Amino acid sequence: MQHFALEQALNYLIQTGAINLKPLDGKTIRFSLKDLPLDVNFICTNDRIFAVSDTGQHSDVNISLNAGVFFALFKGEDLTDLLRQDKIVTHGDVKTAQLLVDMLQSVDIDLEEVLSQYTDDIVAHGVGKIAKNFKQVVQNSSNPIDAIKDGLSKLMITPVVSKLYKNKHH
Amino acid sequence: MDNTTHFGFKDVATKDKQNLVRGVFDSVASKYDLMNDVLSFGAHRLWKRYTIASSNVKTGDKVLDIAGGTGDLAIAFRKKVGESGHVILSDINAAMLGEGRKNLINKGVFGVDFVQLNAQFLPFADNTFDCVSIAFGLRNVTDKDQALAEIHRILKPGGCLLILEFSKTDSEFLKKFYDFYSFNVMPALGDLIADDKESYQYLAESIRKHPDQETLKNMVLDAGFGFCEYHSLSGGIVALHKGIKV
Ligand SMILES: C[S@@+](CC[C@H](N)C(=O)[O-])C[C@H]1O[C@@H](n2cnc3c(N)ncnc32)[C@H](O)[C@@H]1O
Repeated sequence: MQHFALEQALNYLIQTGAINLKPLDGKTIRFSLKDLPLDVNFICTNDRIFAVSDTGQHSDVNISLNAGVFFALFKGEDLTDLLRQDKIVTHGDVKTAQLLVDMLQSVDIDLEEVLSQYTDDIVAHGVGKIAKNFKQVVQNSSNPIDAIKDGLSKLMITPVVSKLYKNKHH
Repeated sequence: MDNTTHFGFKDVATKDKQNLVRGVFDSVASKYDLMNDVLSFGAHRLWKRYTIASSNVKTGDKVLDIAGGTGDLAIAFRKKVGESGHVILSDINAAMLGEGRKNLINKGVFGVDFVQLNAQFLPFADNTFDCVSIAFGLRNVTDKDQALAEIHRILKPGGCLLILEFSKTDSEFLKKFYDFYSFNVMPALGDLIADDKESYQYLAESIRKHPDQETLKNMVLDAGFGFCEYHSLSGGIVALHKGIKV
Protein backbone atom coordinates (compact mmCIF):
# COMPACT_ATOMS: atom_id res chain seq x y z
CA MET A 1 0.00 0.00 0.00
CA GLN A 2 2.78 2.45 0.88
CA HIS A 3 4.28 2.20 -2.60
CA PHE A 4 1.08 3.34 -4.23
CA ALA A 5 2.18 6.98 -4.54
CA LEU A 6 5.59 6.10 -5.98
CA GLU A 7 4.06 3.73 -8.48
CA GLN A 8 1.45 6.29 -9.52
CA ALA A 9 3.99 9.05 -9.93
CA LEU A 10 6.46 6.95 -11.94
CA ASN A 11 3.78 5.59 -14.27
CA TYR A 12 2.42 9.04 -14.78
CA LEU A 13 5.89 10.17 -15.84
CA ILE A 14 6.25 7.20 -18.18
CA GLN A 15 2.88 7.90 -19.76
CA THR A 16 3.72 11.56 -20.31
CA GLY A 17 7.02 10.58 -21.91
CA ALA A 18 9.07 12.23 -19.15
CA ILE A 19 10.95 9.01 -18.51
CA ASN A 20 11.87 6.20 -20.85
CA LEU A 21 11.49 2.75 -19.38
CA LYS A 22 12.58 0.74 -22.41
CA PRO A 23 16.18 0.11 -21.23
CA LEU A 24 14.86 -1.37 -17.98
CA ASP A 25 12.18 -3.56 -19.52
CA GLY A 26 12.04 -6.97 -17.84
CA LYS A 27 14.16 -5.92 -14.85
CA THR A 28 13.31 -6.12 -11.17
CA ILE A 29 15.12 -3.68 -8.92
CA ARG A 30 15.06 -3.68 -5.15
CA PHE A 31 15.59 -0.25 -3.73
CA SER A 32 15.92 0.47 -0.03
CA LEU A 33 16.83 3.42 2.13
CA LYS A 34 18.98 2.39 5.09
CA ASP A 35 17.91 5.16 7.45
CA LEU A 36 14.22 5.23 6.56
CA PRO A 37 11.69 2.42 6.33
CA LEU A 38 11.50 2.53 2.56
CA ASP A 39 12.03 -0.81 0.85
CA VAL A 40 10.49 -1.21 -2.54
CA ASN A 41 10.81 -3.50 -5.52
CA PHE A 42 10.34 -1.97 -8.94
CA ILE A 43 9.16 -4.43 -11.55
CA CYS A 44 9.63 -2.87 -14.98
CA THR A 45 7.48 -4.62 -17.54
CA ASN A 46 4.97 -4.04 -20.33
CA ASP A 47 6.05 -0.40 -20.53
CA ARG A 48 5.14 0.40 -16.94
CA ILE A 49 6.42 0.02 -13.40
CA PHE A 50 4.88 -1.97 -10.59
CA ALA A 51 6.11 -1.06 -7.14
CA VAL A 52 5.65 -3.93 -4.67
CA SER A 53 6.94 -4.53 -1.18
CA ASP A 54 7.95 -8.16 -1.45
CA THR A 55 8.54 -9.97 -4.69
CA GLY A 56 9.58 -13.19 -3.02
CA GLN A 57 11.68 -13.49 -6.16
CA HIS A 58 15.16 -12.78 -7.40
CA SER A 59 15.81 -9.15 -8.28
CA ASP A 60 18.35 -8.12 -10.91
CA VAL A 61 19.94 -5.66 -8.55
CA ASN A 62 19.61 -4.58 -4.92
CA ILE A 63 20.37 -0.94 -4.21
CA SER A 64 20.67 0.27 -0.65
CA LEU A 65 21.58 3.80 0.42
CA ASN A 66 20.90 6.62 2.85
CA ALA A 67 18.18 9.18 2.15
CA GLY A 68 20.74 11.97 1.83
CA VAL A 69 22.68 10.01 -0.77
CA PHE A 70 19.44 9.33 -2.61
CA PHE A 71 18.81 13.04 -2.97
CA ALA A 72 22.40 13.63 -4.04
CA LEU A 73 21.92 11.02 -6.75
CA PHE A 74 18.65 12.54 -7.77
CA LYS A 75 20.37 15.91 -8.12
CA GLY A 76 22.90 14.46 -10.54
CA GLU A 77 25.76 13.13 -8.38
CA ASP A 78 27.73 10.41 -10.14
CA LEU A 79 26.79 6.83 -9.27
CA THR A 80 30.32 5.53 -9.79
CA ASP A 81 31.73 8.12 -7.38
CA LEU A 82 29.17 7.28 -4.73
CA LEU A 83 29.81 3.56 -5.22
CA ARG A 84 33.55 4.15 -4.87
CA GLN A 85 32.96 6.06 -1.64
CA ASP A 86 30.83 3.12 -0.38
CA LYS A 87 27.85 5.40 0.03
CA ILE A 88 25.72 3.02 -2.00
CA VAL A 89 25.64 -0.73 -1.64
CA THR A 90 24.59 -2.71 -4.67
CA HIS A 91 24.28 -6.44 -5.20
CA GLY A 92 23.75 -7.76 -8.68
CA ASP A 93 23.81 -6.11 -12.02
CA VAL A 94 25.44 -2.66 -11.65
CA LYS A 95 24.48 -1.79 -15.22
CA THR A 96 20.81 -2.06 -14.25
CA ALA A 97 21.48 0.17 -11.24
CA GLN A 98 23.09 2.71 -13.56
CA LEU A 99 20.06 2.59 -15.86
CA LEU A 100 17.74 3.23 -12.92
CA VAL A 101 19.84 6.16 -11.77
CA ASP A 102 19.94 7.54 -15.33
CA MET A 103 16.17 7.30 -15.44
CA LEU A 104 15.70 9.07 -12.10
CA GLN A 105 18.19 11.77 -13.04
CA SER A 106 16.43 12.39 -16.33
CA VAL A 107 13.32 13.40 -14.42
CA ASP A 108 13.99 17.08 -14.70
CA ILE A 109 10.54 18.25 -13.78
CA ASP A 110 8.51 19.26 -10.77
CA LEU A 111 6.46 16.18 -9.96
CA GLU A 112 3.91 18.07 -7.95
CA GLU A 113 3.47 20.69 -10.63
CA VAL A 114 2.88 18.07 -13.32
CA LEU A 115 0.48 16.07 -11.21
CA SER A 116 -1.53 19.06 -10.09
CA GLN A 117 -2.20 19.88 -13.75
CA TYR A 118 -3.84 16.50 -14.04
CA THR A 119 -6.94 17.91 -12.37
CA ASP A 120 -9.36 15.68 -14.24
CA ASP A 121 -8.35 12.76 -12.11
CA ILE A 122 -8.91 13.01 -8.38
CA VAL A 123 -6.44 10.23 -7.68
CA ALA A 124 -3.60 11.98 -9.47
CA HIS A 125 -4.54 15.10 -7.58
CA GLY A 126 -4.29 13.18 -4.32
CA VAL A 127 -0.97 11.72 -5.37
CA GLY A 128 0.28 15.21 -6.15
CA LYS A 129 -0.40 16.16 -2.55
CA ILE A 130 1.22 12.99 -1.29
CA ALA A 131 4.27 13.60 -3.46
CA LYS A 132 4.54 17.07 -1.95
CA ASN A 133 4.28 15.63 1.55
CA PHE A 134 6.81 12.99 0.62
CA LYS A 135 9.32 15.60 -0.50
CA GLN A 136 8.81 17.83 2.54
CA VAL A 137 8.95 15.01 5.03
CA VAL A 138 12.02 13.41 3.55
CA GLN A 139 13.76 16.77 3.53
CA ASN A 140 12.88 17.11 7.21
CA SER A 141 14.41 13.65 7.67
CA SER A 142 11.38 12.07 9.27
CA ASN A 143 9.27 9.23 7.97
CA PRO A 144 8.15 9.25 4.32
CA ILE A 145 6.03 6.14 4.72
CA ASP A 146 3.82 7.89 7.27
CA ALA A 147 3.40 10.80 4.90
CA ILE A 148 2.27 8.47 2.17
CA LYS A 149 -0.03 6.62 4.53
CA ASP A 150 -1.57 9.87 5.73
CA GLY A 151 -2.10 11.02 2.20
CA LEU A 152 -3.62 7.74 1.22
CA SER A 153 -5.97 7.59 4.19
CA LYS A 154 -7.20 11.05 3.31
CA LEU A 155 -7.66 9.92 -0.24
CA MET A 156 -9.59 6.86 0.90
CA ILE A 157 -11.94 8.41 3.40
CA THR A 158 -12.64 11.91 2.10
CA PRO A 159 -16.01 11.78 0.35
CA VAL A 160 -14.85 13.74 -2.71
CA VAL A 161 -16.90 13.59 -5.87
CA SER A 162 -14.87 12.02 -8.62
CA LYS A 163 -15.62 12.68 -12.24
CA LEU A 164 -15.28 8.94 -12.75
CA TYR A 165 -18.68 8.51 -11.22
CA LYS A 166 -20.51 11.49 -12.55
CA ASN A 167 -23.25 10.77 -15.02
CA LYS A 168 -21.35 12.49 -17.76
CA HIS A 169 -18.82 11.26 -20.21
CA HIS A 170 -16.25 13.63 -21.63
CA MET B 1 -12.88 -31.46 -8.99
CA ASP B 2 -14.97 -32.51 -5.94
CA ASN B 3 -18.60 -33.44 -6.47
CA THR B 4 -19.82 -30.95 -3.91
CA THR B 5 -19.02 -27.34 -3.25
CA HIS B 6 -20.40 -24.55 -1.11
CA PHE B 7 -23.17 -22.19 -1.99
CA GLY B 8 -23.05 -19.78 0.90
CA PHE B 9 -23.10 -22.06 3.97
CA LYS B 10 -24.86 -24.88 2.12
CA ASP B 11 -23.14 -27.81 0.43
CA VAL B 12 -24.44 -28.30 -3.07
CA ALA B 13 -23.53 -30.45 -6.07
CA THR B 14 -20.68 -28.73 -7.94
CA LYS B 15 -22.59 -28.87 -11.19
CA ASP B 16 -25.53 -26.99 -9.60
CA LYS B 17 -23.66 -24.02 -8.13
CA GLN B 18 -23.53 -21.99 -11.32
CA ASN B 19 -27.32 -22.16 -11.73
CA LEU B 20 -27.90 -21.22 -8.11
CA VAL B 21 -25.58 -18.21 -8.45
CA ARG B 22 -27.36 -17.27 -11.65
CA GLY B 23 -30.66 -17.33 -9.74
CA VAL B 24 -29.26 -14.89 -7.17
CA PHE B 25 -28.07 -12.38 -9.75
CA ASP B 26 -31.18 -12.74 -11.94
CA SER B 27 -33.09 -11.77 -8.86
CA VAL B 28 -30.93 -8.82 -7.70
CA ALA B 29 -29.98 -7.38 -11.13
CA SER B 30 -32.50 -4.55 -11.37
CA LYS B 31 -31.80 -3.27 -7.83
CA TYR B 32 -28.09 -4.11 -7.83
CA ASP B 33 -26.64 -0.59 -7.97
CA LEU B 34 -29.01 0.83 -5.38
CA MET B 35 -28.34 -2.05 -3.00
CA ASN B 36 -24.60 -1.72 -3.50
CA ASP B 37 -24.69 1.92 -2.44
CA VAL B 38 -26.98 1.28 0.51
CA LEU B 39 -25.23 -1.82 1.85
CA SER B 40 -21.68 -0.45 1.58
CA PHE B 41 -22.63 3.14 2.54
CA GLY B 42 -21.14 4.09 -0.84
CA ALA B 43 -17.73 2.65 0.10
CA HIS B 44 -17.71 0.34 -2.93
CA ARG B 45 -17.06 3.44 -5.04
CA LEU B 46 -13.88 4.20 -3.08
CA TRP B 47 -12.71 0.59 -3.27
CA LYS B 48 -13.27 0.61 -7.01
CA ARG B 49 -11.53 3.93 -7.42
CA TYR B 50 -8.51 2.56 -5.61
CA THR B 51 -8.61 -0.50 -7.87
CA ILE B 52 -8.61 1.64 -11.00
CA ALA B 53 -5.79 3.81 -9.70
CA SER B 54 -3.75 0.71 -8.85
CA SER B 55 -4.27 -0.86 -12.25
CA ASN B 56 -1.58 1.20 -14.03
CA VAL B 57 -3.80 0.92 -17.09
CA LYS B 58 -2.90 3.45 -19.75
CA THR B 59 -3.85 4.74 -23.17
CA GLY B 60 -4.11 2.01 -25.77
CA ASP B 61 -4.41 -0.89 -23.30
CA LYS B 62 -6.71 -3.88 -23.69
CA VAL B 63 -8.74 -4.53 -20.55
CA LEU B 64 -11.19 -7.28 -19.67
CA ASP B 65 -13.54 -6.83 -16.71
CA ILE B 66 -14.91 -10.21 -15.62
CA ALA B 67 -18.12 -10.50 -13.57
CA GLY B 68 -18.44 -6.85 -14.44
CA GLY B 69 -22.16 -6.58 -13.67
CA THR B 70 -23.41 -3.04 -14.04
CA GLY B 71 -20.07 -1.82 -15.36
CA ASP B 72 -18.53 0.54 -12.78
CA LEU B 73 -15.00 -0.63 -13.53
CA ALA B 74 -15.53 -0.86 -17.29
CA ILE B 75 -16.67 2.78 -17.38
CA ALA B 76 -13.55 3.93 -15.56
CA PHE B 77 -11.25 1.74 -17.66
CA ARG B 78 -12.83 3.05 -20.84
CA LYS B 79 -11.81 6.55 -19.84
CA LYS B 80 -8.24 5.42 -19.12
CA VAL B 81 -7.56 3.47 -22.32
CA GLY B 82 -8.87 6.16 -24.67
CA GLU B 83 -9.89 5.69 -28.27
CA SER B 84 -6.91 3.51 -29.11
CA GLY B 85 -7.63 1.06 -26.29
CA HIS B 86 -10.22 -1.66 -25.88
CA VAL B 87 -12.45 -2.54 -22.92
CA ILE B 88 -14.67 -5.60 -22.62
CA LEU B 89 -17.37 -5.83 -19.97
CA SER B 90 -18.20 -9.47 -19.34
CA ASP B 91 -20.49 -11.40 -17.03
CA ILE B 92 -21.99 -14.87 -16.90
CA ASN B 93 -25.41 -13.46 -16.24
CA ALA B 94 -27.48 -11.97 -19.08
CA ALA B 95 -29.64 -9.91 -16.72
CA MET B 96 -26.60 -8.29 -15.06
CA LEU B 97 -24.98 -7.68 -18.44
CA GLY B 98 -28.24 -6.11 -19.62
CA GLU B 99 -28.17 -3.76 -16.62
CA GLY B 100 -24.55 -2.97 -17.47
CA ARG B 101 -25.43 -2.10 -21.03
CA LYS B 102 -28.29 0.15 -19.84
CA ASN B 103 -26.04 1.84 -17.32
CA LEU B 104 -23.33 2.61 -19.89
CA ILE B 105 -25.84 3.98 -22.38
CA ASN B 106 -27.42 6.15 -19.66
CA LYS B 107 -23.99 7.51 -18.78
CA GLY B 108 -23.12 8.14 -22.42
CA VAL B 109 -20.24 5.68 -22.38
CA PHE B 110 -19.68 4.03 -25.76
CA GLY B 111 -17.01 1.85 -27.28
CA VAL B 112 -17.19 -0.91 -24.64
CA ASP B 113 -17.89 -4.45 -25.87
CA PHE B 114 -20.16 -6.81 -23.96
CA VAL B 115 -19.47 -10.54 -23.72
CA GLN B 116 -21.45 -13.13 -21.78
CA LEU B 117 -18.96 -15.62 -20.40
CA ASN B 118 -18.01 -17.85 -17.54
CA ALA B 119 -14.75 -16.84 -15.80
CA GLN B 120 -13.66 -20.49 -15.95
CA PHE B 121 -13.68 -20.59 -19.76
CA LEU B 122 -12.41 -17.39 -21.33
CA PRO B 123 -12.94 -17.26 -25.10
CA PHE B 124 -9.77 -15.27 -25.87
CA ALA B 125 -6.36 -16.08 -27.30
CA ASP B 126 -3.30 -16.41 -25.07
CA ASN B 127 -1.44 -13.16 -24.19
CA THR B 128 -4.24 -10.80 -25.22
CA PHE B 129 -4.91 -8.37 -22.33
CA ASP B 130 -2.83 -5.80 -20.44
CA CYS B 131 -5.20 -5.97 -17.50
CA VAL B 132 -7.98 -8.29 -16.31
CA SER B 133 -10.16 -7.29 -13.38
CA ILE B 134 -12.78 -9.12 -11.35
CA ALA B 135 -14.59 -7.17 -8.64
CA PHE B 136 -16.82 -8.92 -6.11
CA GLY B 137 -17.14 -11.76 -8.60
CA LEU B 138 -14.52 -14.40 -7.77
CA ARG B 139 -16.32 -15.68 -4.68
CA ASN B 140 -19.26 -16.70 -6.88
CA VAL B 141 -17.12 -18.71 -9.30
CA THR B 142 -17.34 -22.47 -8.79
CA ASP B 143 -13.74 -23.35 -9.65
CA LYS B 144 -11.63 -20.34 -8.71
CA ASP B 145 -8.31 -22.03 -9.54
CA GLN B 146 -9.48 -22.72 -13.05
CA ALA B 147 -10.63 -19.11 -13.47
CA LEU B 148 -7.26 -17.80 -12.23
CA ALA B 149 -5.39 -20.10 -14.63
CA GLU B 150 -7.56 -18.88 -17.50
CA ILE B 151 -6.92 -15.25 -16.59
CA HIS B 152 -3.18 -15.94 -16.45
CA ARG B 153 -3.35 -17.50 -19.92
CA ILE B 154 -5.06 -14.52 -21.59
CA LEU B 155 -2.90 -11.84 -19.94
CA LYS B 156 0.13 -10.57 -21.84
CA PRO B 157 3.51 -11.02 -20.16
CA GLY B 158 3.70 -8.07 -17.77
CA GLY B 159 -0.10 -7.97 -17.67
CA CYS B 160 -1.87 -7.30 -14.42
CA LEU B 161 -4.69 -9.14 -12.65
CA LEU B 162 -6.84 -7.22 -10.17
CA ILE B 163 -9.14 -9.02 -7.77
CA LEU B 164 -11.29 -6.81 -5.58
CA GLU B 165 -13.20 -8.95 -3.12
CA PHE B 166 -14.51 -9.11 0.41
CA SER B 167 -11.90 -10.52 2.73
CA LYS B 168 -11.00 -11.02 6.39
CA THR B 169 -10.56 -8.30 8.96
CA ASP B 170 -8.14 -8.72 11.89
CA SER B 171 -10.02 -6.33 14.09
CA GLU B 172 -12.22 -8.06 16.69
CA PHE B 173 -14.47 -5.03 16.88
CA LEU B 174 -14.94 -4.82 13.11
CA LYS B 175 -15.51 -8.58 12.95
CA LYS B 176 -18.36 -8.40 15.49
CA PHE B 177 -19.95 -5.37 13.88
CA TYR B 178 -19.59 -6.86 10.43
CA ASP B 179 -21.08 -10.23 11.45
CA PHE B 180 -24.07 -8.54 12.98
CA TYR B 181 -24.45 -6.26 10.00
CA SER B 182 -24.15 -8.93 7.31
CA PHE B 183 -26.32 -11.60 8.91
CA ASN B 184 -29.01 -9.33 10.31
CA VAL B 185 -29.05 -5.95 8.60
CA MET B 186 -28.09 -7.02 5.06
CA PRO B 187 -30.80 -9.65 4.54
CA ALA B 188 -33.37 -7.36 6.19
CA LEU B 189 -32.45 -4.50 3.85
CA GLY B 190 -32.53 -6.96 0.94
CA ASP B 191 -36.05 -7.88 1.98
CA LEU B 192 -37.12 -4.28 2.39
CA ILE B 193 -35.60 -2.71 -0.72
CA ALA B 194 -35.30 -5.56 -3.20
CA ASP B 195 -37.96 -7.88 -1.77
CA ASP B 196 -35.33 -10.63 -1.70
CA LYS B 197 -33.98 -11.79 1.65
CA GLU B 198 -32.46 -15.10 0.50
CA SER B 199 -30.15 -13.59 -2.12
CA TYR B 200 -28.66 -11.19 0.41
CA GLN B 201 -28.34 -13.99 2.94
CA TYR B 202 -26.35 -15.90 0.28
CA LEU B 203 -24.16 -12.87 -0.43
CA ALA B 204 -23.32 -12.56 3.28
CA GLU B 205 -22.57 -16.27 3.57
CA SER B 206 -20.47 -16.37 0.40
CA ILE B 207 -18.24 -13.63 1.82
CA ARG B 208 -17.45 -15.83 4.84
CA LYS B 209 -16.60 -18.79 2.63
CA HIS B 210 -14.21 -16.81 0.45
CA PRO B 211 -10.47 -17.42 1.04
CA ASP B 212 -8.63 -14.90 3.22
CA GLN B 213 -5.92 -12.55 1.90
CA GLU B 214 -2.95 -14.92 2.25
CA THR B 215 -4.81 -17.94 0.87
CA LEU B 216 -5.96 -16.01 -2.18
CA LYS B 217 -2.45 -14.64 -2.71
CA ASN B 218 -1.11 -18.21 -2.80
CA MET B 219 -3.86 -19.24 -5.21
CA VAL B 220 -2.83 -16.41 -7.54
CA LEU B 221 0.83 -17.47 -7.36
CA ASP B 222 -0.14 -21.12 -7.90
CA ALA B 223 -2.01 -20.09 -11.04
CA GLY B 224 1.35 -19.07 -12.49
CA PHE B 225 1.62 -15.36 -11.65
CA GLY B 226 5.18 -14.26 -10.91
CA PHE B 227 4.16 -11.69 -8.32
CA CYS B 228 1.15 -11.12 -6.16
CA GLU B 229 0.54 -8.46 -3.56
CA TYR B 230 -2.61 -7.57 -1.69
CA HIS B 231 -3.81 -4.38 -0.08
CA SER B 232 -6.39 -4.65 2.67
CA LEU B 233 -8.94 -1.85 2.50
CA SER B 234 -11.35 -0.66 5.17
CA GLY B 235 -9.65 -2.72 7.86
CA GLY B 236 -9.58 -5.86 5.70
CA ILE B 237 -13.30 -6.01 5.01
CA VAL B 238 -12.20 -5.80 1.40
CA ALA B 239 -8.87 -6.64 -0.23
CA LEU B 240 -7.35 -5.83 -3.58
CA HIS B 241 -5.03 -8.54 -4.91
CA LYS B 242 -2.74 -7.57 -7.70
CA GLY B 243 -0.99 -10.31 -9.66
CA ILE B 244 1.60 -9.75 -12.37
CA LYS B 245 2.31 -12.26 -15.11
CA VAL B 246 6.01 -12.44 -15.88
C1 LIG C 1 -21.56 -8.91 -6.85
S1 LIG C 1 -21.61 -8.80 -8.58
C2 LIG C 1 -20.29 -7.72 -8.96
C3 LIG C 1 -20.56 -6.78 -10.10
C4 LIG C 1 -19.50 -5.73 -10.37
N1 LIG C 1 -18.21 -6.31 -10.68
C5 LIG C 1 -19.37 -4.78 -9.21
O1 LIG C 1 -18.32 -4.82 -8.56
O2 LIG C 1 -20.27 -4.03 -8.94
C6 LIG C 1 -21.00 -10.38 -9.02
C7 LIG C 1 -21.13 -10.71 -10.51
O3 LIG C 1 -20.43 -11.94 -10.77
C8 LIG C 1 -21.10 -12.58 -11.83
N2 LIG C 1 -20.64 -13.99 -11.88
C9 LIG C 1 -20.93 -14.98 -11.01
N3 LIG C 1 -20.32 -16.12 -11.38
C10 LIG C 1 -19.62 -15.84 -12.52
C11 LIG C 1 -18.78 -16.60 -13.37
N4 LIG C 1 -18.55 -17.91 -13.14
N5 LIG C 1 -18.22 -16.00 -14.45
C12 LIG C 1 -18.47 -14.69 -14.70
N6 LIG C 1 -19.26 -13.91 -13.93
C13 LIG C 1 -19.83 -14.48 -12.84
C14 LIG C 1 -22.55 -12.37 -11.45
O4 LIG C 1 -23.43 -12.62 -12.52
C15 LIG C 1 -22.56 -10.95 -10.97
O5 LIG C 1 -22.88 -10.04 -11.99
